[in-house]
Amino acid sequence: MDRTFEDELSALLPRLRRFAHALSRNAADADDLTQATIERALRSRSQWQPGTRLDSWTYRIMRNLWIDTARARSRRADREAPEGEGAAIGEDPRGAMDAAIDLKRIMAAMARLPDEQREIVALILVEGFGYREVSEMLDLPIGTVSSRLVRGRTALLAMVGER
Amino acid sequence: MSDDEKFFAWLDGELGQAEAAEVEAKVAADPHLQQLAMQHRALAGALRDAFVPVLAAPIPERLQSAVRPGGNVIDFAAAKRSRTFPAAFQWAAMAATLAVGVLAGTLISRSAGGPVEAHAGKLYAAAGLDRALDAQLASVPSGDVRIGITFRDRAGAICRSFTAAAASGLACRDGDKWRVRGIFAAPEGQSSDYRMAAGMDPSLAALVDSTMAGEPFDATAERAARERGWR
Repeated sequence: MDRTFEDELSALLPRLRRFAHALSRNAADADDLTQATIERALRSRSQWQPGTRLDSWTYRIMRNLWIDTARARSRRADREAPEGEGAAIGEDPRGAMDAAIDLKRIMAAMARLPDEQREIVALILVEGFGYREVSEMLDLPIGTVSSRLVRGRTALLAMVGER
Repeated sequence: MSDDEKFFAWLDGELGQAEAAEVEAKVAADPHLQQLAMQHRALAGALRDAFVPVLAAPIPERLQSAVRPGGNVIDFAAAKRSRTFPAAFQWAAMAATLAVGVLAGTLISRSAGGPVEAHAGKLYAAAGLDRALDAQLASVPSGDVRIGITFRDRAGAICRSFTAAAASGLACRDGDKWRVRGIFAAPEGQSSDYRMAAGMDPSLAALVDSTMAGEPFDATAERAARERGWR
């Protein structure tokens, strides 16, 4: 029984790292966040209801930890946006919407989204959750999820379209 | 819900039938909306692709051990044991790096009869693997190869994931053959029970995730696809 919980958590690791990467925007912080999430999940395992989705439950832990520990720091980082990333975004001379959107370019654009839009874009467009699931996971009204998603993806498209 | 929100909810498959039909009609009549839909589908696809390297990267040992805190006890014997067998915790990473390289040496037959053959620099399923991909349904497992999920890639080709004794992988239809898109070694000594409990190899899961367009086939669609010769 216990083994199953750990195995399921272990199977989630690649996806948890992906979401952590979307939240924290760099590999080292992403792994710290993933580790803290795993530790919290193991300590809180009695609160998980078998039969419900372990992924949503664990993502929720990760997102709350991210808010607790990293948001203040990342806000500071936002104000001092790294020169390199901003500069890289204008480089590609091709139209942004030909078959292959430059992957570096899209990651840089993603990193420039405000936190509250980025987490929703990541959960719905990358992780594949539904609006309702995300609304429950983040304790937000579904209308807020939907409007932030519109703003986030519209900003992303504009950024990858910049010349 | 604003018109914008409704449009995107439609794009994400979040609307009920009636509302979806309404938006669909609107989009069909408006070239600007059609272009917007196309751009946002491309954007979402590119965003998923951009994260594939993160998804497919080897999991650091510290995260593997965090999941199994038993490996961290302050007990010399246990600590030593866990250091002696780090591979057990890193099998995902091992599978990823072993992937095609090692298998090229072991699975690809130089003579006839092996499960994978190379033609003009591409790998194709052969023998038992080819037969299983052609004939087997996920709901009716038989023989040494188990079929996992069946789906279409972005170019419309049918793809099927499979698990055999020593490896798991993904093959997609290429003419009348199955081209092997990726194959991942099972970690040495890992019991098949453990593998079933652990689910799909993470590297394979990442490959499937980046290849699949839409949803996996259900049993009916899988059977129908077989009847049409996997076209």
